[in-house]
Amino acid sequence: MCAMRLTGYADRFGVNPGKTIKFHVNCDGPKKYNCQIVKMIHADTNPRGPGLIEENIDADCNGEYNGRPQTIYSGSYGYVEDNVHLQVESFTMQCWIWPTTPKTHPKYWRHGAQGLMTKWCNGKGYGLFINEDGCVELRINGKSITTGAPVRDHAWHFVAASYDADSGQATLYHEPQIQYALDPDIPPVSKKVGEKISHTAGVPFAVAAYAGGADKDPQAQASRPAGMVMAGHYNGKIDSPRLCRRALSREEIETMKLGAQPGLTERRHCGPTGPLSEAIVGSWDFSDGINTACGKDHGPYLYHLDIVNCPTRAMTGHNFSGHNFDWKHAPKEYGAIHFHDDDVDDARWDVDFEWNVPEGTSSKFYAAKLTTSDGDEDYIPFWVVPEVGKEQSKIAFMVPTISYMAYANEHLANNAGGAELLVYRVPIMQDQNMFLSEHREYGGSIYDTHTDGSGLCLSSRLRPILSIRPKYDHFLMQAPWQYPADLHLIYWLEEMGYKYDCILDEDVNYDGLARLENYNVIITGSHPEHNSGPQLDALHNYTQQGGRLMYMGADAWYWIHSYHPAYDHLGRGVITEMRRCESGIRTWRADPGEYYHQGTGELGGMWRYRGRYLHSVAGTGMSSEGFDISSYYSRTYESNDPRISWAFEGIDYDEKIGNFGLVGGGAAGTELDIVDTMLGSPPHTLVGATSAGRHTEAYLLVMEDYGFSQQGIDGTQHPRVRSDIAFHETPNGGGCFAFSSIAFCGSLPWNNGKNNISTLVGNVLDRFSKDGPLPPPPKDAIIHRGRADYDPAMNKKSK
Amino acid sequence: MISIPKKGTPERERLIATHKECIESMKGVPGCTIMKCETQGDTTVVSGGFQEDPLLNKVLIRMRTMMPGNFGGKLVVVCTKVEKEWRIARLSGIRGVPPEFVNDKVYDNEQDPQHDIFLMRLDQLDEEDGYPEHFNEGWKRRNDNWTVT
Repeated sequence: MCAMRLTGYADRFGVNPGKTIKFHVNCDGPKKYNCQIVKMIHADTNPRGPGLIEENIDADCNGEYNGRPQTIYSGSYGYVEDNVHLQVESFTMQCWIWPTTPKTHPKYWRHGAQGLMTKWCNGKGYGLFINEDGCVELRINGKSITTGAPVRDHAWHFVAASYDADSGQATLYHEPQIQYALDPDIPPVSKKVGEKISHTAGVPFAVAAYAGGADKDPQAQASRPAGMVMAGHYNGKIDSPRLCRRALSREEIETMKLGAQPGLTERRHCGPTGPLSEAIVGSWDFSDGINTACGKDHGPYLYHLDIVNCPTRAMTGHNFSGHNFDWKHAPKEYGAIHFHDDDVDDARWDVDFEWNVPEGTSSKFYAAKLTTSDGDEDYIPFWVVPEVGKEQSKIAFMVPTISYMAYANEHLANNAGGAELLVYRVPIMQDQNMFLSEHREYGGSIYDTHTDGSGLCLSSRLRPILSIRPKYDHFLMQAPWQYPADLHLIYWLEEMGYKYDCILDEDVNYDGLARLENYNVIITGSHPEHNSGPQLDALHNYTQQGGRLMYMGADAWYWIHSYHPAYDHLGRGVITEMRRCESGIRTWRADPGEYYHQGTGELGGMWRYRGRYLHSVAGTGMSSEGFDISSYYSRTYESNDPRISWAFEGIDYDEKIGNFGLVGGGAAGTELDIVDTMLGSPPHTLVGATSAGRHTEAYLLVMEDYGFSQQGIDGTQHPRVRSDIAFHETPNGGGCFAFSSIAFCGSLPWNNGKNNISTLVGNVLDRFSKDGPLPPPPKDAIIHRGRADYDPAMNKKSK
Repeated sequence: MISIPKKGTPERERLIATHKECIESMKGVPGCTIMKCETQGDTTVVSGGFQEDPLLNKVLIRMRTMMPGNFGGKLVVVCTKVEKEWRIARLSGIRGVPPEFVNDKVYDNEQDPQHDIFLMRLDQLDEEDGYPEHFNEGWKRRNDNWTVT
């Protein structure tokens, strides 16, 4: 229905002048395509704004290239390369499973049998599967046996299969962990198969998939093992897989659940018993190496699985006791990996071209603009970032790349009909959404659930991310969101003639304060919602040491993120992880015991619940959200305080501030932040303007701010459904100015930047970007203040 | 649960007229709500619509709660040419299966198809839903016509 024939990604988001950036392109159809490096200035096509603005850049990579299709081989699994020990004649396979889609709709994108433990390809080999009917199935070459009992979804089952080559007898076990009163028994099934197992050279042993076959097409080199395309991707958890080279009795299988054992003076073999130690081919323990891309084999041959496409780990196993939620403290209860058929860690495409970014290149938003003579088009965004110590400006825009990754390739409008309840109108989709709805192999966002309905908590940047594109309106607002919305601000900086650098979330995460301290002011994006701990530490250190922060949006500093250390060798910030825990506005909710990150082992969820209120970073924090239309601000009496009045110079006291804009039609909209001294706003924070009372019923208080479901939480009723424009001083001549609305930057380009939002932001930026400390506050402003000091005006009235 | 007004009733005609009036006033707004802009395309002063018509509000909520696969696919708008053309499509309700267009009608703005979807849904929805007589097994499996994100 829709054809996006050009897609691509770069090997990095940020590149230093003098360094090289590589581009990977899928050109599915056209023989040739053209590349033009462009500087991105404005990406919103709304006719009421300045429109798309980009500048061609002379680059040695500009020109025509041969097109070729490149495929993403998504779906997670583990594999061991073919070897003699895996080429068994007799065997026993066993594992615990918690399947999420044992039976799929015939039109489901990957309908068919799912591999659990396999060394099987095209009717040759052996393997344990869930078949198309949702039943456990043992395959030996082209023959199969099944229990005929459908596997219950979202429940633990112990499954095992044995085969004795001498007798030709195969036995299959399926033992549900929970037996409901009306469940039929599932007795073991034994059958004489009488096959000699055929082994195909090169077919790997796989967990959670099976080998679809070797493919000589060059693009199949992107699969793992290279050139071997995997099939039958399994959705669900697998715990404690074991492979033995003889048919074990049921009693031996029970003993084998214990797995391989560590050697001691009194136990000089690897098995739970001496005889079993001689039978073990592999005994995998997924609780070992949770923060790696390796499935550890504790058996004698150390056949560690390469874990492909980053499935979710630190998942509760079949033996989870509920006493300990941190996998580091109870690893043996976290022996499960949750595999998904739409996991993707790295597209692993070939490089099509690269750009050696000349020394002296200005630090800005750039993109490789790809076009064909048939009208195909795609943009691959990237940023030129100066090395620490080689800053080009006094102003830095901190590109919220973690947030871009969190929203990468989201499917909400498509998957969740309920998204319409959230936005109070019919979602509008674009080519990108339509393409992704068909191409699930491009992976989803951290807002999505996987194709099996489980929460998606890992996002890679090594894949085309079609939501980080110009000319893209997001269904949430019928307007730009994240990347294209941040270009509203970039347009304004350019139009006003400011010199600025671009630095990325990952730079602040890896370089800390060094990345920030040489700038006079840091400007955020419109929605820096997702942040790592090192990044927040750096921002706090910066503002405490006299740095100035302009917080240009809302719903920031909200979710805990970490970069997965197993991918650090591929560059900075390749995969970001987040868990949606007990509270916060969530599109999915983590299951009990699954709150800790698999990468860093830290507790996930909201920063608020780790003792870091959102309001502590820049002075305001999220109060509410609504996605129908935006409103505007009015000044408060506090705006006349000399500590903040300078920001409102040129704006009349009664003026409507921001009753125009390209996001919702006003500056105050979508997600809104307020001052709350009980939640971390400094007690000396001033509120210069607010949008109180003007929002629709579509705006609702965030759920972490109330304990009971209750009425009166919408924009027409609740006093905290508003946006506060706020300022506070930080020590050593620093300060934070918070504009507190995601829609805010959408007003900057209005009337080519000639408007009162522009005046306000210009006043702040001019003051914040000057060398030296900010002017000191009046002496009488230095007083003792409590967090709760306040006497309600209505309490003073008596009627 | 709120009833969908029958065809030809004054209530239904009122809802349709109000919805149309609101949608017309929203043309030019980069966003949309079923309320009326005092000046078309300008959200400085908005009023009426779902906030002042409880029936319209609840009918809209019933429409919005539909599951992606309901009635052959929940209706959505698809922008087929940026800033120029829009069409109405149905979600498939099956992951990996893309939406399909419902007809050949092409709109020149993003608001009108939202009104047409309102009209289509008035015809789609049963007059009554959500009472004990409507119980089905889906109620036990969260497939109860009340979607969550």
